[in-house]
Amino acid sequence: MEPIVYVALGAALAAGIAGAASSFGVGIAGAAAAGAVAEDEKNFRNALVLQGLPMTQSIYGLITLFLIALVSGILGGGFKFAEPTTGNLIKAAILLGAGLTVGLTGLSAIPQGIIASAGIGAVSKNPKTFTQAIIFAAMAETMAIFGLVGALILIITGVGF
Amino acid sequence: MREVEVSTITAILDTSLAVIFTWVAYKTGQILWKYTPYSYPNARIRAMEARFFTEQKFNELAESKTLNNFVMNLEDTDYKPYLTALPVLNSENIDRALDKALADIYGLLLKILPKRTRGFFKLLLEEWDIRNISSAVKAKLRGEVARDYINEIGTMVEKVKAIAEAKSFEEILVILEGTEYEEAYQKLLLKEIAPEEFETELYKNHYLKLSKYAASRKDEERIILEEFVSLKIDKINLSTILRGKAHGLGAEKLRNSLIPGGKIKRKSLETLANMEDVEMVLAELDSTEYSGIIREYREEIVEDISAFERAFDRYILQRMAELTRFYPLSIAVPLSYILQKESEIRKLKAIAKLIEDGVKPEIIKKAVGELP
Repeated sequence: MEPIVYVALGAALAAGIAGAASSFGVGIAGAAAAGAVAEDEKNFRNALVLQGLPMTQSIYGLITLFLIALVSGILGGGFKFAEPTTGNLIKAAILLGAGLTVGLTGLSAIPQGIIASAGIGAVSKNPKTFTQAIIFAAMAETMAIFGLVGALILIITGVGF
Repeated sequence: MREVEVSTITAILDTSLAVIFTWVAYKTGQILWKYTPYSYPNARIRAMEARFFTEQKFNELAESKTLNNFVMNLEDTDYKPYLTALPVLNSENIDRALDKALADIYGLLLKILPKRTRGFFKLLLEEWDIRNISSAVKAKLRGEVARDYINEIGTMVEKVKAIAEAKSFEEILVILEGTEYEEAYQKLLLKEIAPEEFETELYKNHYLKLSKYAASRKDEERIILEEFVSLKIDKINLSTILRGKAHGLGAEKLRNSLIPGGKIKRKSLETLANMEDVEMVLAELDSTEYSGIIREYREEIVEDISAFERAFDRYILQRMAELTRFYPLSIAVPLSYILQKESEIRKLKAIAKLIEDGVKPEIIKKAVGELP
C-alpha cells in the first residue's frame, strides 16, 4: 500500500476506534443512567457525570487525528510522504502506529463505561459512594492518557513537525 | 532490493493490522455481549434496593396499634398502591396485596432482564406454583381449608386457586392435566407415593430444571446460578435430613427424599442420613462450608429445626450479596434483590398477622428480627 494509505489509516483509526469505544462506553453507562433515573429522578445529576466519563477517549482520538494530519502535511499543505520510499514508508508506519496506539488505548472507554455503569448502580443505592465511583471509573482513563502520551512521543520524535 | 524492503514493510503492517483488528473485534464483542445487557436492569435494581426497609422502619411498623396504622405507615412506600385499594383491612387481604406486589416485581424483572437469563426467573416463579400446589394438596389431605395455604403468586395462580376450591381430588387432577405436575399427582392419587414424596417429586423435577438451566449458561452467569441452585438444594436436603432425624426416621426413608445437585455430595448426604440423631448430623456438618451456621445456631437448631432453615436462608442472602460485589454487572444483582424483597415481604406479612392477633410490639420486633 502507498504511504498515504497508512497515514490516513493511522489518523482514521485514532479517531475512529477511540470514538466508537467512547460511544459504546457512554452507551453502556447511559443505559445504567436510564435505569437509575427510571426509579428515582434524583439520580440524574450523579448519573450524568458518570456517564460522561468515557467520552474523553474520543477527544484524544481527535487530537491525534489533527496531529497526524498536521505533521504529514494533509492539513495545511501537500502530503509530505507521497513517494513510496523506505524512509517515507517508515514515517507513515510510525504515524499509523501512533494512531493505533491512541485508537486501541481508547478502547478503555468500554471498560470505563462498564465501571461507570456499575458505579451508577452503586450511587443509586448509596449516593455517598459518588466520589469513589468517579475515581474507579477514572482509573480506566489512565490507559488512554498513556496512549496519547506515547503517540505524541512517536509523532514528535519519529516524524517531527 | 528496494522493492523487497518496501513489500516486506507493507506485508508486516498489513498482517499486524489484520491480527490486531481480529483480536480487538473479538474481545470487544465478548465484553459488550457479557456486560451491556445488565447495564440498565442492574442500575435500576440498585436504585430499587435503596428503598428496602431498614430495621428502624420495621420497628416503626411493629409499633402500629392497628392494621389501619400499619397500612398508613406504608403510605410513602412502593406498597401503597397495593394496600390502599383493599376493601377490608385484615391480614389475609394484606397477604394477598403483598403477594401481588411481589408478583409485579417478578414481572418487572422478567421484562427488564437480558433474554438469556430471563428464563431463570420464570423458573423461580414456578417454584411458587410448586409451593402452592403441594400446600393446597396437603391441606386438602388433612381436611383443612386449602385457601389459607396458598400465595397468589406464580405462573398459574388461577389454577392454584381452582385447586384450593376443588371439591374432590379427581377435580384437582383435571385442573393439573397437561401441566408438568400431572404425573406426580397421578402417582399420589394411585397411592404409589406418599404426600411428602409428592412434594419431593415436584421439587426434584424443579431443581433438576434449575440445575440444567444454570449449567447451560456461560462464565460468571453459570458460576452464580450454580452456586444459587446448589445452595437451595443443600438447604432442602439438610433440612429434610434434620427433620427426619428429629422424628426418628431411618436412612432408607430419607434417601428417597434427597434431591441431587447440591454442593454436598450424595455420599456425604447418605452418611448424614445414617446418623443417629440431630446432634450427630450437626457434628458432621461442622466440617463442611456450613460450619459457620452450625456453630452459631447449634442450640436453637437442636430445639427447633426451623432455626436451621432460617439461618440457611440468611446464609444464601449473604452469599448472593457477596456475589453482587464480585460481579456488579451480572445476574447476582437481580437474584440478591429478589431474595431481599421476598424477605421484606415475609417480614411485612408477619407483622400484619401479629398486629391482627394483638401481639405486643416488643414481641413482634423480636419475632420479625429472627426472620431471614
